[in-house]
Formats: sequence, structure tokens, C-alpha cells
Amino acid sequence: MYRYDEFDERIVRDRVAQFREQVARRVDGSLTEEEFTPLRLMNGLYLQLHAYMLRVAIPYGTLDSRQMRQLAMIADRWDQGYGHFTTRQNIQFNWPKLPDVPDILAALADVEMHAIQTSGNCIRNVTADHFAGLAADEIEDPRPTAELIRQWSTLHPEFSFLPRKFKIAVTGAARDRAAVAVHDIGIRIVANEAGEIGYSILVGGGLGRSPFIGKTIRDFLPKAELLAYLEAIMRVYNLGGRRDNKYKARIKILVHEIGTEAFAARVEKEFSARNGPPAEVDAAELARIAAYFAPPAYQALPAVSAPFEAAKARDPAFARFAATNLFAHKVPGYTAITVSVKPIGKPPGDVTSDQMRALADIAEHFSFDEMRITHVQNVILPHVRLDDVADVWAALVEAGLATPNAGLITDIIACPGMDYCKLATARSIPIAQDIAVRFADAERQALIGPLGIKISGCINACGHHHVGAIGILGLDKAGVENYQITLGGDPGDGASLGERLGPGVGADAVPDVIERIVDTYLAVRAGPGEAFIDTVRRVGVDSFKPALQPAEEAPREAA
Amino acid sequence: MAIGKRQPEAVILSANALLDGAVVYHDGSGWTPHLEAARVARGDEVSALEALLAASEAQGDVVDALLLPVTPDARGRIVPNHYRERIRALGPTVRRDLGPQARGEHRHVSL
Amino acid sequence: MKLLDRTGWKSDGFSRAESAGDASAVIVPLATLDVALAERRAGQPIGVDLPNDSDPADLRTRQAKVDLIAIAFPKYGDGRGFSIAKALRDQGFSGILRASGSIIPDQFAFALQCGFDEVEIEDAQAERQPIGQWLHALTLIHGTYQDGPDGSVSVFRRRHQEAEAVKAA
Repeated sequence: MYRYDEFDERIVRDRVAQFREQVARRVDGSLTEEEFTPLRLMNGLYLQLHAYMLRVAIPYGTLDSRQMRQLAMIADRWDQGYGHFTTRQNIQFNWPKLPDVPDILAALADVEMHAIQTSGNCIRNVTADHFAGLAADEIEDPRPTAELIRQWSTLHPEFSFLPRKFKIAVTGAARDRAAVAVHDIGIRIVANEAGEIGYSILVGGGLGRSPFIGKTIRDFLPKAELLAYLEAIMRVYNLGGRRDNKYKARIKILVHEIGTEAFAARVEKEFSARNGPPAEVDAAELARIAAYFAPPAYQALPAVSAPFEAAKARDPAFARFAATNLFAHKVPGYTAITVSVKPIGKPPGDVTSDQMRALADIAEHFSFDEMRITHVQNVILPHVRLDDVADVWAALVEAGLATPNAGLITDIIACPGMDYCKLATARSIPIAQDIAVRFADAERQALIGPLGIKISGCINACGHHHVGAIGILGLDKAGVENYQITLGGDPGDGASLGERLGPGVGADAVPDVIERIVDTYLAVRAGPGEAFIDTVRRVGVDSFKPALQPAEEAPREAA
Repeated sequence: MAIGKRQPEAVILSANALLDGAVVYHDGSGWTPHLEAARVARGDEVSALEALLAASEAQGDVVDALLLPVTPDARGRIVPNHYRERIRALGPTVRRDLGPQARGEHRHVSL
Repeated sequence: MKLLDRTGWKSDGFSRAESAGDASAVIVPLATLDVALAERRAGQPIGVDLPNDSDPADLRTRQAKVDLIAIAFPKYGDGRGFSIAKALRDQGFSGILRASGSIIPDQFAFALQCGFDEVEIEDAQAERQPIGQWLHALTLIHGTYQDGPDGSVSVFRRRHQEAEAVKAA
């Protein structure tokens, strides 16, 4: 994991002191709310429905036990004892008070954390593959690159007042698990024919009101040129992005309006005119950062673990967890565990401070003191010996974090929605809870297989509903919450946006509609090996349209 | 025009308190967390509330002030028309232990 | 309007006019810049008001003749001026860069680091944000991850220099 040096530490500490003064100037009136708002947003502080909300950065989702315990302490001391993991690998606290926020930021700085630029019209948290450093299909760990970009983008004097927010994601594997195709800039680490490692650069992806899949504007960029190239993109966007209409201000609109080729030409022109820092400085810096991400001291273990196999044979509940929540680790004898933060009937992504402390203890003891928050609001224990999985599971059970539903139908992504968010047009969490309760049966979930439901409480799409295999968008229809269902979205390779099934339905109808969609899938799938998303692609969304309506003459199912 | 005069829309003024972000309502002289104390304005009275809204921006002790349409219930108690504002008056519907609802407030408001 | 730089308030040696005229130093609108440059007295400083939707490259052939460029900041959140300033410095403009309009003390360090020399604000804003706040804002953040035309050295470069020094030792 990256560790701050004196330079990083100084900047983060100074930022806390700066914000402390900004709060004081707001309270004494020398800053108006209009002046203060962009400043507090750039320190992660929103005003929501019921209270302020503080979004704390977890850079590329990676944190250790010390940091997780500090988040737990913050939740207890200055909030209501819980936090919420987001779809950008951050954590949100929903009840901080303005005068306490500088102290919270100081407590974060104590453990090398911050809330810098987690909101506002600036470059946000850089996200990365949550299986970085352990997946067999990895070309290179994306996190050093993500850390380099994090530092470069921090308090950037030229790019702190952009037309709109800016989100960057990095993937280093053959399979994209970071949804790079739906980010403002998506970066894929690739190898060219000569075996050199470089970057493929996508721009203009994004969800929200006008979803777009990103376009590749550079197939291969040498590593040392990354920051210079990003600066070129940012300058083109800063100067050319729309400022007249908040809903048309993202880079995706600029790329769409002038065309990919024209946009790429502007970037190349800007890039070739650069006289920025020599590439050797950036390359040296990347190498320095990469040293912090050296693999942990794995033991040499056999691929098959006798204790693990025995535990599965003994305990069907454990066997079920092992079947759903483990990810193949490239090192024999190890695995990556997905800790689901989607307990049935509870708000997706929420953890109590006790649960945070439990996770910290487990990670410290069993996972080389490392955890990752995923962009689907779960937690990864990245390096667990198969020998230890049963003990980890027992500890997770005790903490209420052992739901065996990773990637299954009850592993639902939901934004906070109108229960918390000022922008929302409908609630999302109760919909997620109702669906999860309806599909709670573990055997049924296993039968259905992988199925990603994503729920957004408004068209800003923070729940990423556009890229849900089933997407649900909550709107306000004449003063009543109304939910539009989409099918066929996919965030990864071959990224696609979901297609609307038909008119929206009321909240009460949503679980029934999902059931009928699932029943249709089970009836037409080529076999249990054909995942839901593949069936949708094969038979088409139209085949599922009847699911919107209750069957008129079908016999009623026994309750 | 329909026979019988339609009651002009009733509004109250609401905002979030600067320091703790909590939901507050204007009672005619100041800000209160209690919905039932909110001053209801109709017709000509609305402009006075609008003036208070504008003043609140200059004063800065509340943030994001807005006028909310309300309708009195059968017992004359103030109920915000829109479901967002009813959630705002109660607290998160998925955490009944948080917000004004946890303090037993605004019980007459239901979603 | 009041004018300040990193040392404090300063009096404005330039006045604004549509043409070069008799003023000792004058800032003209972009549309009349060519005329003003043609009509200027020998040694008369000419400045130009640049709207923030301008392309800095348009000034490249004239910039050597321009003494001051005032870049508009119509709204606090509109950060185009930072890129315009940086681009002008990148393309070799060595005159005075002035940020003019809606800019707050908390942006002052960014402005200087992008190549601005001075900031021009409305009187009412100057009353609410006395010079002490502006100068104090510059003292708050030590270190930057970017090089700047103001002489800022990025943390990356400093680390690299330190590492090279260690190697050489």
C-alpha cells in the first residue's frame, strides 16, 4: 500500500488547516454560501436532505486495518455509528456537523486519508480494479498508476474549476473490472506487440442523464507520457466543455458534440505542444510508487487446501459461501474473499462501526492487513490462505457480513436515493430491500446465478442502473414514486447500456416484475450455464416485455 | 371558472441549518425544527415568506431555503404535499431510528 | 475595481478604453486590439481584455507586442481562465497576466501557479475579503504536484532531485 512521504503528509495536513479556516470564514460571513459551496464540495462535504454528508476518499478502494478502525471511530464520535460504501470505492458519512468536519479531516489525516476532491467540479477519486495485484489475467497492477494520477490531480491549479465533475478509472487486467468504459477517462494497461507496457486511453464514457460508452482515442500511450497526455485531455475539456448547461457539461457531451476524431485531434495537438515536465520525472515517480505495491510475503502452499475442502464437506452453509464469494487468486493456496455488504433486507453498502472494526481485525489477521472497497459496494479481503477461509467465514458470520450472495440477484447496487439524497426523485434502498427479501432463498439465488441489479433514485445514475443487467430507475410520476426497468446493461468488456422494458411501475409492483423477468429467463435460458445477461443478449429485450404486466389468465401461484 | 372559490395554495418556508444541516422551518420570527410551528402563508402572505427566503440567503445561518406547498390534514396539522418533503420531515424511511421520527416528531406525517 | 498581487493591493497603471488614445497605459477590448497596436504611441503599454471563451493560440502572433492580458472570470466556478493563462505562458507570453472578475482568495494560489501576476476584483468583494485574507491564503498549502510558470516545483520533481542527489553523493 502507498505510504505518504513528508510531501504528501504536508499537503493533506495543510488542506485540513485551510478548510478549518474556510469553515470559520463561512460561519463569520466573510464567505458567502455561494463562495463556500465549491470549497466545501472540494473537501467532500455535501448538504443532503436531512443533514450534511461527508464523502471520504478511499483511493482506488484500498485501505488497511488502521484506516478502517479510524473510519469506525469517526462514525462513532462524529456521526451515527455507520458508514456507506459507494459505487466509486469511497465511504460516506451521513450526519456530520459542519463545525466538526475539520476535526474529522484531521482524524483522517492521522491515518493518511482525506476527503479532498471527492466532490466538486474537479478530478475525483481514481478508481481501479478491486482485484488488483492478485488476478491471474492481470497485465500490471493498476494501483501505482492510480496513485500517480491521484497525486497529480490533487489541488491541480489549472483543473480545479472544471465545467463539471471528472472521473477516472484504471484497469490492469485483460478483463475490465473497473468499468473503464463508463468513465470520463478510462485507462487500460495494455502490452504492445513488442511486449512493452503502456496505456490505452478512452474518453467520454459516463452514465447519468445521457449515458455514453467511452471512445478509444489512443491505442497505445507509452507509460512515461501518461500525465502529459492527461493534461492535454483536461485542458481541451476545461476550455471546451459546456458551461451553459449543467446537464451538458461532462466531457462525454463534448466528445459527442464535436465527434471522437475531432476531439482526439484537439488532444493530440495540445499534447504535441506540451513543454511540461520531462517524462523521466513521471517515470521515476511511477517506479517509486510501484515499490509500495510489491506483493505480500506469500507462503508457498499447495493449490488444494485440505482444511478448506474438509470444512466445505462438513458445513453446507460454508460450502455455499465458498461457492459464491471466492475469487481465484493467482498464487496457489490463496483466494480473494468478497465480503458482501448486501445483507438481505438491509441498506446496500452500509456498515456499522462494529462491522468496520470486525473487518479490520479480520484483514489484519488473515489478509496481510489489506482490504479493498469495490465499486459494487462490497469489500474484498484480497490475500487469504484457503486454509483460513473457514475461520474468516466464522468471523464474518459473527459480524453479520457473511451473506453468500456475491454477484447474485440479491447483491444489489443502490444509491442512497431519496431516503438521503437531495437530488433524488424516488427512493432506491427500500426497492433493493424488497427485491432482496423476495429472492432471499439461497438455493433459488444459486439456481438463478449471476445477475446484477442496479438501482438509481434519479437520472444522475449514481446507482449505475444503465449498466445493470437489470437496471431500475426511480422517478417522480405526478407525485408518486415510479420505477423504470431496463435490461441488458453491462459495465465491463463489451460494455452496453440497458434498454427500457416499457412504462414504469409502482414501488409495490417492482419485486413482482423482477420475479417475472427471472421466471422468463429461467424458462428460455440455454442451460444453467447461460448467465442472465447472455440470455438477454441472445433472445433480446423484447422477449421480456410481458414481464411488466401481471399475467392476466395465468393461474395464481400458491403463496 | 368553477363555482366556489378554490383555496389558494398554502406554503411554508424551509431550509437546512448551517451548522448541523438539520431541517428547519420558519415560524414567522425565526427557524424551528418543528414542522407544526411553521408559519403557513396563502395568497398575499406568500410574498412575505419570499422576502424571508431572500433574506436568509444574505444572512447565511441557513442554507438552501425553499418554499414548500403544504396541505392541512383533517385536524389542521401541516403536511407537506410532496413525498420528498415528508421524508425530509421524518428522516430516512429505511432508518426509523434516525431523524425527527426517532424523536417522535411529526408523527402525523406519513409517506 | 481593486487590484492586488502577491505583495498586496496595488494601484492600476492601466486604464480601460476602446482605443490606445492618450492614456499612459491602456487595456482595450479584444475586438480593437489590432487597431490599438497599430495606433499606439511609442513605448505605450497596451493591454487586452480577453473573454474566457477565447483560444489562447489566437494571440500567439501578437503576444510579443502585448504588455498585459486581462482574462475574464465571469463566475467563481468558471475555471477556463486558469487554462488560458497556463496556455499563454506555455506559448511564451511574458507580459502581465491579470485575472479579472469573480475570483476568491481561495483561488489565488492556483492563479499564481497558472502564471497570473495580479487579480482584479469588484470593490464590494474587496470590502468583504480584505487583503489580509488574500495574502494569508498563499501561506496555507506547502507543496504542489505541478510545476508552474511562477517557479513552483512539483513534488515529483523534488523527489526526483533528492533521489538524484542521493545517487550522486
